[in-house]
Amino acid sequence: MWLPFVGLVIGLLLGFWTEFRIPEIYSNYLSIAVLAALDTLFGGIRAHLQNTFEEKVFVTGFFSNILLAAGLAFLGVHLGVDLYLAAIFAFGVRLFNNIAVIRRILLSKWTAKQDRQTEN
Amino acid sequence: MKVKGNHVILSFVLIITGFIVALSYQFANEGQNSQVITERQWNKEDELRNQVLFEQSLNRNLSEELRAIQAEINTIEEEIAYQERAYFNLVEDLDKLRMVTGSVGVKGPGIEVTLSDADYVPDGENPNFYIVHEGHIQKVIHELLVTQAEAIAINGQRISHQSYIQCVGPVIRIDGNTSFAPFVITAIGDPDKLHDSLHLPGGVRDQLLSDQVEVKIEKKELIIMDPFLSERG
Repeated sequence: MWLPFVGLVIGLLLGFWTEFRIPEIYSNYLSIAVLAALDTLFGGIRAHLQNTFEEKVFVTGFFSNILLAAGLAFLGVHLGVDLYLAAIFAFGVRLFNNIAVIRRILLSKWTAKQDRQTEN
Repeated sequence: MKVKGNHVILSFVLIITGFIVALSYQFANEGQNSQVITERQWNKEDELRNQVLFEQSLNRNLSEELRAIQAEINTIEEEIAYQERAYFNLVEDLDKLRMVTGSVGVKGPGIEVTLSDADYVPDGENPNFYIVHEGHIQKVIHELLVTQAEAIAINGQRISHQSYIQCVGPVIRIDGNTSFAPFVITAIGDPDKLHDSLHLPGGVRDQLLSDQVEVKIEKKELIIMDPFLSERG
């Protein structure tokens, strides 16, 4: 379980320390990519908790979601339509949904555990 | 714990997520910094601008002061230059005056007058009338001085403006130094002029000759005189 967290820390450090720069006009895409990544992550956690986790789905979903969101924003900028709002909306709703499901699962697991303890 | 395949994939995904999050976080921070100018920043800017203005006015004052000081230095330098010129002139004058008073050695063209006692004194005559007296020397010297001789010496003894010539029997004393005949009077000046002035009809030479003094006058290309030293010898 420790390896993913090490990976997260390494990624954060890389992001902070490297002098990697993207032009300012692409910052919108970046924020949408962040949203997509978070959405996929929480989706993966939820799936894991529900025991329906599949690696391939998760990995492909992660990358395709990021690319799709960025591409949608790109298209929106060039068409003059704020299409990135759609991506934000969709991801935001799913994010909240996923978090709510995770919370509920965790809560039910916790209560079940407490019940078992009291029975014992 | 065994490293499973899905853990590797998960950590890879998390690396990318962390990277993107950090990047966007940085980006958001930068955007905020560059766009939003808070009241505090305005105040700070105002303060800094005031400080800059203050420094500038200070600099202006200082540069004005500097200019004033430079002008002062200029005037002082001019003054010094003028004084130096004056000093130079004074030194030149001093040199000339020293030459005149005889405190330095001088050389130049001039004339040499030799006065000797008469060789022949007839019997029964007072030999006093046949020797050179201080008066004769004084006559010559006066004549030479009148003819603008620049420096005069008797037997190598320089004459200054306060020299005295004293007759002591057959010898004379010049500034306390004894001299014997023949007396060689050297004078620096225009040789022709000095020569002519001594040879005026009825002049010094004729008078000396009539006083039974042997006079020999010759022009010299170069006469070197030692400085006047009263304590000499």
